[in-house]
Amino acid sequence: MSTRMATIGLVLAILAGTASAQAPGAAAPAFTINDTAGKPVALADFKGKYVVLEWTNPECPFVQKHYVSKNMQGLQKEWSERGVVWLSINSTNANHSEFKTGPEVANWMRAQGSAQKATLLDSSSATGRAYAAKTTPQMFVIDPAGTVIYNGAIDDKRSTNPADVKGASNYVRAALSEALAGKPVTVASTSPYGCSVKY
Amino acid sequence: MLSFSARHTDSFVERTWRRLTESLVIVVALAWAAVAAAAPVHTPHVEAELLAERTALVPGEPLTVALRLRMAPGWHVYWQNPGDSGVPTTIAWDLPAGIAAGPIQWPAPRALPAGPLINYGYEGEVLHLVELAVPASLAAVGTQTLRARVDWLVCKEACIPESVELGLTLPAAASAEANPASATTIAATRRALPRALAGWQASAAGQGTSITLRLAPPTGAGDPGTLRFFPFAERQIEASAPQTLARAGNTYLLTLPVASDLAGPLPRLNGVLTASGTLGEAVTAATLDLPLAGHVVPGARPDLATTTPVGPHPSPAAAALTLWLAALSALAGGLLLNLMPCVFPVLSIKVLGFATHDDRPSTLHKEAFAYATGVVLTFVALGLALFALRAAGEQLGWGFQLQSPVVVTALAALFFVLALNLSGVFEFGQFAPASLIGLSARRRSLDAFAAGVLAVVVASPCTAPFMGAALGFALAGSAWVTLLVFAALGIGMALPYVLLACFPGWRQHLPRPGAWLGRFKQLLAYPLYATVIWLVWVLGAQTDNDSVVRLLLALLGIGFALWAWRILREGGTRLWAAAIAVALLGVALVAWPLLTGSHEVRVNTPKGTGTAATSDSEWEAFTPTRLAELSGAGRTVFVDFTAAWCVTCQVNKRLVLNDGEIRSAFAHKQVALLRADWTRRDPAITQALTALGRSGVPVYVLYRPGREPLLLPEVLQRQTVLAALAPL
Repeated sequence: MSTRMATIGLVLAILAGTASAQAPGAAAPAFTINDTAGKPVALADFKGKYVVLEWTNPECPFVQKHYVSKNMQGLQKEWSERGVVWLSINSTNANHSEFKTGPEVANWMRAQGSAQKATLLDSSSATGRAYAAKTTPQMFVIDPAGTVIYNGAIDDKRSTNPADVKGASNYVRAALSEALAGKPVTVASTSPYGCSVKY
Repeated sequence: MLSFSARHTDSFVERTWRRLTESLVIVVALAWAAVAAAAPVHTPHVEAELLAERTALVPGEPLTVALRLRMAPGWHVYWQNPGDSGVPTTIAWDLPAGIAAGPIQWPAPRALPAGPLINYGYEGEVLHLVELAVPASLAAVGTQTLRARVDWLVCKEACIPESVELGLTLPAAASAEANPASATTIAATRRALPRALAGWQASAAGQGTSITLRLAPPTGAGDPGTLRFFPFAERQIEASAPQTLARAGNTYLLTLPVASDLAGPLPRLNGVLTASGTLGEAVTAATLDLPLAGHVVPGARPDLATTTPVGPHPSPAAAALTLWLAALSALAGGLLLNLMPCVFPVLSIKVLGFATHDDRPSTLHKEAFAYATGVVLTFVALGLALFALRAAGEQLGWGFQLQSPVVVTALAALFFVLALNLSGVFEFGQFAPASLIGLSARRRSLDAFAAGVLAVVVASPCTAPFMGAALGFALAGSAWVTLLVFAALGIGMALPYVLLACFPGWRQHLPRPGAWLGRFKQLLAYPLYATVIWLVWVLGAQTDNDSVVRLLLALLGIGFALWAWRILREGGTRLWAAAIAVALLGVALVAWPLLTGSHEVRVNTPKGTGTAATSDSEWEAFTPTRLAELSGAGRTVFVDFTAAWCVTCQVNKRLVLNDGEIRSAFAHKQVALLRADWTRRDPAITQALTALGRSGVPVYVLYRPGREPLLLPEVLQRQTVLAALAPL
């Protein structure tokens, strides 16, 4: 019995393979993904700038909360004006029932009045996996050197109620404010909340 | 349905507004209904209601109420720590003055995979118990209404937040009785709540990115089976990384991966430990609250490239099978066995025996009963032997008999003898006309019992399709489950014969015995010869050319000896007896190396997999490492779990997998092809099968990056394979 357990453990360990680390302080994995119009966008294109990665899925009620309340669009506008590159990534796998095509996602974003630099279709989910993104929304902030300085939830109110945005403490705004002021990020990691990324 | 299809074209605002209004209408309408009648409230995926354990609120006495949630199949709600995603269910109480509600008493959760992610929650039905404190000052007259606003997130592929208002109106009285509608379920839920682990010695030590839970059972404790630890708080243990169980002497060691987003120092470990077996009498879940020795640091991000197995038996197929369904499909599989080419000839002779001599029904019934007993007992014995060997740590599965060259050799000889008998080269003693008449009923029953044993033995190379899932289920369960499923298999196999014996009317439809019967018997010999050829081929795949020649020589000797025996019985001289002796001696000498088991322990080695089954160039030999490498690289992988001795496997391979259209579809979709050849024993393959909830071949599985492995049917169709490949 014990040898069997040990062997199972070994197999699981092999299956788990080598894990990549995107904890704060780790290098952000490189990627090149097509945007909703089919144009490739690479993280390397924005070297030297702050980059926000927003994991999104229009079908997810937690994502809808932040768009209905205009919270997400507001952040996108606020920080794009200050030179931050905002990329929204939809890692919903092409096989999943919630998958949307480029034009569908683009239309949805346009209807929301979103203001990100680009919306990227990670339809193979490879970039989502590389970042080990678990939920939508999940937010990453990357500094000009390509280091992850924040990874986690958008704010501290775990709900789908748009009214909860008011009065919530926004982690992304806090991280960007500190970073752009040359200060270290106080809360560099939180537990993201939302729907699972549809791998 | 409140979720929307991906192709919906309405504007988002319109949809959201509609969703909100629909929810509101449902909430208002149902809330009113609930308060008035305390009927369950239905949302599209959940049925919810409040239940009280007793019939009235009694001043000064606490009352337990339960929130009962029943989810639609496949949908789940979340535990207090939801795991990788999701939110826990919440209850906001609106209670009469003075009454106070305690926290939700959470039942033990289950680990629910969502692609490579793991959530903690509940499927099916769950009761959340809450204790209400009722003040002594409450007037014991009239009624009081308990109201609660309940919010949950219910998810399958999509996630839907739902909110309902529930109400429960109870009289306030000086005394109360157990509520007949709910007291039993509430009490059962309470008994099953995880409580502090009793009797065990537990400790936790952290080192780097892992924590080891040491769990020493009290003496005489049962097997805990698969263990899993669920932390009460997030950001302590990585939900989607595997927890591994090992055993050191009497102690179980459960290794937990530290969360990659570990929240600060971790001085204590708090959570629920669940066991697939037992943690004590009727205990399968217990709470742990342990000081954590050592020091931990944030772990690696989980590798989301591979789907995390939840335990050794996470198969969707195995989990979906209930005991009775498994027994039923075993019954069907047993019925089907009768039509297999190795069994059909032997049994048709037995059945035609009915037609040849007119018996009284009682004799026939006895014989049928004896036959059925033989079949069932042999299956049960095989099943229990397999179960015992697996419990002893052997990596075996169904079909294990045929992984032994000794058994293959013996079966080839047996089939050859049966075939020669049908061909008329010799006759068994009891078939001689003189002895048939004088045969006692007792002797006939023994004969039928032996025929039952023989039928199972000859059936074993031809495991019927549709039996895979049932047998996998049988071997993953307890000895009783194994017993039941294998017994069902035997009953299924014996059923046609028993029915024919009990309803003899069908015999009138048979042609009368005559010359045709002899020719029919001779015709039926040929499927058996074919079976012999196939077994010789299997032996060749397992061993080498020498063994094949030895077996063929032995068969030649057996054939000669039987022919000589017939001449001797027909009045031949003593010379024929000498010839028989010489032939049998020759057989023994030639076959000796095959039977001493010198090949018995040959287990597949990476080099040794180059049998006929894996020579095709597109196919690589399966190893867990190779599978992990390919999956890690984002490739879709198709694995053919096969064996030379598995007829269904060979048919599928020839007709489907080697088909030009299928091969070009695999190539076009860039599917990596792995072949797991189980012709000989191979623990790695047995484990991979176990992980899929199966215990035998064939198994066809498509590993798609980040998704549940897709099991294809055991009887492959070209369309099925093409359909599975189409969305890639």
